[in-house]
Amino acid sequence: MGGEAYTFKLFGLTFNATNVISGTIIFVLVFFVLFGLSRHLQMKPKGGQNVIEWLIEFTNGIVREQMPASEVGNYSFLAFVLFAFIFFSNQLGLIFQIGWNGNEIVRSPTADPVVTLTFSLSMIMLAHFAGISKNGLKHYFGSYLKPYAVMLPINLVEEFANFLTLGLRLFGNIFAGELLLKLLGQMAFSHGVPTILVSLPLEIIWQGFSVFIGAIQAYVFVTLTTVYISQKVSAEE
Amino acid sequence: MLQGVLAQSNSLYVGDMLFYIVSFIILMLLVKHYAWKPVTDMMNKRATKISDDIDNAEKSRAEAEKLAAQRQTELQNSHQEAAKIISTAKKTGEAQRDQIVTDAQKDAQVVKEQAQKDAEQARRDALKGAQNDVANLSIEIASKLIHKELNADDQKALIDSYIEGLVKHES
Repeated sequence: MGGEAYTFKLFGLTFNATNVISGTIIFVLVFFVLFGLSRHLQMKPKGGQNVIEWLIEFTNGIVREQMPASEVGNYSFLAFVLFAFIFFSNQLGLIFQIGWNGNEIVRSPTADPVVTLTFSLSMIMLAHFAGISKNGLKHYFGSYLKPYAVMLPINLVEEFANFLTLGLRLFGNIFAGELLLKLLGQMAFSHGVPTILVSLPLEIIWQGFSVFIGAIQAYVFVTLTTVYISQKVSAEE
Repeated sequence: MLQGVLAQSNSLYVGDMLFYIVSFIILMLLVKHYAWKPVTDMMNKRATKISDDIDNAEKSRAEAEKLAAQRQTELQNSHQEAAKIISTAKKTGEAQRDQIVTDAQKDAQVVKEQAQKDAEQARRDALKGAQNDVANLSIEIASKLIHKELNADDQKALIDSYIEGLVKHES
């Protein structure tokens, strides 16, 4: 979103400083928020314990809706951390957008396609791996020939499309939201006070809407991940 | 399309991908140990406790019902017992009353018999006295009648004796 990203090379790999910094902020933030919410646990929950228990119930509910009951316990933790991470990532760029010398330093990690596709690729691979380890190789490859052998190319394309849409949907929503925020910000300072007065309410409304979108996209990402995993691990189909 | 999208990221940063995957795995391990495990343990414990509480409530309700039934039967038993005690007391009282009445009757009978005996005795005594008196009187009358035909000497002697008797009687 404007400007060159800081890149550096380490061990022959290219790193994007923006992503590394934003990602580190998110990982630390998610851990300390969850850590802070889970202190002073009691039989009768109060305060932060209520919040984290509600969050756990929420992600458990997503998994329960999609998976056979025997598999719920294996993936509810993954869904919980994934949801927390993506939700916080989506919100970070709405609150902090730090740039320096025309280069971005902090933004939503999920506004970068590399990050979202990394996660979608990991989740799709996890789904395939879980399918193989649960039902065996024969069943796994057999599933590409269902319902007819002719469907093989379509099934292959579907797997690839799953991977792309899962990552790009998240990226598109968050990236568009932040782009519009940035444009509104540029508009505000283009012609002095009148444009500030016009842009300010628009910016506020759009930020609120983006918070909503960020939550929805986190929910959608987790739901689709569990759907893909459950498709692979289900004994039938 | 993909190339256009990736152009936004300037190039494919393989390092970023590894960074995110490794960080995410570390995050999962940390969260699992510090947040997920304690919270879910607590939730499970609570679920167990609630189901236990429900079971216990059911149990104590059954127990209370049993106790109530037991109390009811005991109450009935005590009613019966009270009735038995009362009837026993009544019977005893009646028996005692009968005994007392019988004793009283017997005593009265004895007293009456004694009184009758005394009265009879008194009557007999009185009768005896009267007989004696009548005998004396008749003797006296007879003697008076006889004395008329007595001679003067004899009469004199009789009168004397009579007077003597009177004097004796008076003294």
